[in-house]
Parts: sequence; C-alpha cells; structure tokens
Amino acid sequence: MQFFRYIVAVVMIVLCFPLPLFAAEGGEYIAIRKEGSGKIALAINKLDTPVKDESRLAQRLDAIIHDGLDFTGLFTMISPPLNVKDNSNRVNFGALDSVGAAVYADGSVSNTSGTVILDMEVYDTAGAKLLLKKTYNGNQLQLRKIGYAFCADLVELLTGKKSIFGSKIVFVSNKTGFKEIYECDFDGHELRQLTNSHSISLTPALSPDGRYLAYTDFSSGRPALYIKNLSNGRLSTIGKSGISIDPGWRNSREVATTLSFEGDQEIYLIKADGAIARRLTFSKGIDLSPSFSPDGNKMAYVSDRNGLPQIFIEDLSSGQVNRLTFSGRYNTQPSWSPAGDKIAYTTWESGGEINIFVTGIDGSGLKQLTEKSGENESPSWSPDGRMIVFTSTRQGSKKMYIMGSTGENQRPLLPSEGEQMQPCWSLFCQ
Amino acid sequence: MKSKINGIVILALMVTAGCSSRSAVTAPEAGRSQAPSPKISSPVAQTVTSPTVLPTASPNVSVPSSPASSSGYGFDQWQNGPLGDVFFEFDSTVLTADAQSQLKQNAAWLDNNSANKALIEGHCDSRGTSEYNMALGERRASTAKEYLVRLGIASLRLETVSFGEERPFDSGKGENAWAKNRRAHFLMK
Repeated sequence: MQFFRYIVAVVMIVLCFPLPLFAAEGGEYIAIRKEGSGKIALAINKLDTPVKDESRLAQRLDAIIHDGLDFTGLFTMISPPLNVKDNSNRVNFGALDSVGAAVYADGSVSNTSGTVILDMEVYDTAGAKLLLKKTYNGNQLQLRKIGYAFCADLVELLTGKKSIFGSKIVFVSNKTGFKEIYECDFDGHELRQLTNSHSISLTPALSPDGRYLAYTDFSSGRPALYIKNLSNGRLSTIGKSGISIDPGWRNSREVATTLSFEGDQEIYLIKADGAIARRLTFSKGIDLSPSFSPDGNKMAYVSDRNGLPQIFIEDLSSGQVNRLTFSGRYNTQPSWSPAGDKIAYTTWESGGEINIFVTGIDGSGLKQLTEKSGENESPSWSPDGRMIVFTSTRQGSKKMYIMGSTGENQRPLLPSEGEQMQPCWSLFCQ
Repeated sequence: MKSKINGIVILALMVTAGCSSRSAVTAPEAGRSQAPSPKISSPVAQTVTSPTVLPTASPNVSVPSSPASSSGYGFDQWQNGPLGDVFFEFDSTVLTADAQSQLKQNAAWLDNNSANKALIEGHCDSRGTSEYNMALGERRASTAKEYLVRLGIASLRLETVSFGEERPFDSGKGENAWAKNRRAHFLMK
C-alpha cells in the first residue's frame, strides 16, 4: 500500500508517547506515516460484546470512536465487508483489501461490575500484520474518554505525531448576558464555564502545560490581566495602572501581554505569579496580540507603527524586528503554528469581510483560508497543527468553526446559545 | 483655560455649546458645535449649578452587556453630564476640530470645578477585530486626556480606560450607529 512506504519501529512511539493510565497488553507496534494529502482508508468493525445486554454500550462506543476518528479528517471510513470474519472468526484480509481498506480495527467491550473494558486490535491489511493490541478501561461515565484513548493511540500509531484527542478549547461566550470564559473538548463536548465575574472576560489563553489560564477581565472597572491556576483556582494579577490586553503564552511559565502603565501600549513578559519579567516592544503606538514560536525565541504580534495594524516578528534574543504582512491594510490576530513554520492571521478587507490567511514565517506561501462568509476571526491551531478553530458570522451570530489547516472541511463546532468568540486551542492533550 | 475671568460667562458658553453638541446625537460626525450663544437656558444651567445630582455611574456596576437600543450604554451620562463626549473618525485617534472644541469646553468646566475628577472611556465601533479595538479605545481616551492636560488640567484628575467595542452607545449597524460609538466618553468621578 502506498501509505505504508515509511515504516518506523515502535520503539519511537513508546519513547515519544508514554502510554496513558490504561494498562496495555504488549503487542508489536508499527508507526505508519501517511504520505501526501491522501487519507488513510480505515475499516472499523462493530465492537463485539460477550453479553447481549451490553450491545447498547458497544453501540455508544462504536459511535464515539467512529465520530472521533472522522473528526480528525485523517481517515476515509470504509464499511467492513460482510465476510470480514471467516467461519473460524479469523480476519479475512483479502476481503478487506478488496474493499480498499488499508487499516482494519476490531475489538470487544465488556462491563464487569461497573468497569468498562475495551479490547482493541489494529491490523495493516496488506501484510495481515498486527499493529496494535491494547486494553482500555474506565467507568461507565468515561465512555468518551475510553474511546478517545484508543483513537489517540491509533492516530499516533499511524501518523507518528500526537493527536488532538484530549485537547481543550477555551473561548468567550455571552450566553448568560455577560462575556464569560468557557472550556470544551476539541470536538465541542464537555462544555464548562470557567469564569463567573458578571463583568467582561476576554481573550482566554491556556498555558502549554494546561496549568494556567490567562485572560483579561473588567471586574476592577478596567481591563486587567488575570492568571488563574486551574488546579487550585488561585488568581494572580499585575499591580500596575493602565490596561492589559490579549495575553499569549511563551512557555508554561511566562505569558506576554500588552500593558499601558508606562503610557504607551507595549508588550511585556509576565511570570505566572504576575511579576513583570521584561519589556519586549519599544515602538510608539499600539503593540498587541503576542504569539510565540514553539521554541519561545520569536514573537509574532500586531503593531501600528506604520499607521495601520500589521503583523511583525521579533527575535527575542537579538531584538531584531521584521514585518511579516504586506498585503491587506488591516492585519491582526496572529497565531503561530505548533510546528513553527506557519502563522495564521486575519485580514479585514475593504468590503467589510474579515478573512483568515496562513503564511510561512518568512512571508512566503500566503494562502487564504476563508472567503465570502462574513467575519472570520481569531484563528487558533490544533496541537497537531492539522486544524484551525476560528469564529465566523457566516450563519448570522458569531460562532466557533473548525477547518483543516489548508481551509478544507469548514464546519460549526459547538451548537450553543449566544455568541462564541476568541477560541484558543490547547497545546496539551490530557 | 487661559483666563479665569467671570466664571458665569464661561459657564454659559460651555453650557450652551454643550447643548448644541448634544443635540447632534444622531449625527455627531456632522458639523456640530456652532458658535455658542451667550444665553443661559435654565434647565441646563440648573444642571451645572447642582453638581450633586450629576450621574456618577461606575462602569463596572450592572451595565447591560449588549444594549439593544439607541438609549444604550452611556446615553444618560452623555445627555446629562457637564462633560461632553468627543467623537473620532473611523480607525483614528486624531482629534477633529469639533473634538478639540468639545475638549476645550470640558477643560473649562473642569477648571471651574476643581474638586471633580473625570474618567475618560475610550470606545470603538464594532468593525475590525476586538483586541485591536481595545487598544484603539485606550488611545482615544489617552489622546483626549493629553489634550486636557495641555489645557492645564492636572493629569491626576483624569483617569482613562478602554472598553474597545464592548460597550457600544448604539448597537446598530451602519455609519450612523458607528459614528456614535467612536468616542471618548466622560464620566464624573
């Protein structure tokens, strides 16, 4: 099969991705990296259940796994042929090959006194080779977590990269009448309200390790930076006058934000306890919306030093600044890709539309991802860099949408009342 | 203020000019602040002579999150307060002639009411992106403050804050609404 040209020994997978809490039975692991833009043809058989009563459980897990894998956009889901198992219950790889399935997954689920146990096996159909054999378990309320743990292993196995399963999206919604910050899973499930300030809470940003949430809040009467420790709920803020706008994390210990306490609006680096580490920009006018390269050495940000807002990149060690955007009069909201090679941003066009663009960090390879669909704003990359969450007014009210990193397959994320704004996709996967 | 001659005349000038600019609520971008007439109209004079009844709303107390009508956030304060709002061109922080004229009137009032402090809120229309508008709103407020300081008002009496596009005066769409939202809004402290 063409997809399987690159075969990497499993050792790499084990080293890079320590297996989660669910104990696994050892098998032979092989990472298969997808080549080109083609999708992986995957056939998943319905889960077996030893007891008939558990067929409903199996159906729910089937749906969770199918929908989760489909969400990634990595797979072409192929229905297994009717004769996928022969009379001795062995997998009929010839039949799978003839329907075009490159990978085959099969498994069973049981419920032993409240513990759900999912046994999964994954095969390369061409070589009839076992790629993964693993057991996952949890309680009945953790079906999604159990299913996604398998999905995460499967994606990492086949692509050699971490998946989006277990990642979170934080965003702003006004559904209570106030702008508050919310969190949901990467696919919109498990919605949770994180702030309840009855004021205006804006621009949430999760630290790369997921321990802190930085955001701007008007509870004090002015927009101030808050850093919330998500494990103990403790809030830190900066004891400075002036206002704070739009934080972005450099790493899990330092966040940058715009402060105006010295008069002009400049970007400063702040420690997680609220202490100012250092000032990063020195130009007159607006400097805004920091987004860092994965190694933390470079910062993309918005500056109006030339009159109109454009995106610049600063090298933090040398202090050298280069302008990134030259097309469009109003470019804001930079978001640096997790792989480090691209920056997504928005252009406010003369006709009133706002559109999302992606460019290489040297300004080459500019690509427009949205068009003729109202205001498309606030792009934020998935941790694997394959998708972008953003907001759009294409169906009226501003809501979150998801698309592939080259603009394909744009669809709504979360059907929830109220407007949704300023999504930020976590870098971590829990 | 260069001269502190006859306070009542200054007040009268200020008050009536304030009237004319307030009457331009629906189109602040149109030429306003005509030559003030030195005639005191009694209801406004009453407002000025009774500063204790002036609204002193705090911006973080029970403010509706999305005002639905033209009587939205800031409407009452703007209508009744002695300090008039100043308006800006699209995506601009430059003080127009009208804005400068209004700020001179505000300076005159502050000069004559030295016990009062003012909070200057910067606001933007809803176009563009909200983070940039938050920055733009602060620059509008600080531009207005700097102008007042140049006119002799103590910097410590003037606080600034930005609401970006979060508290539109008029939540409608179109230039008529947007023009009302691009403003530095004055509150008594």
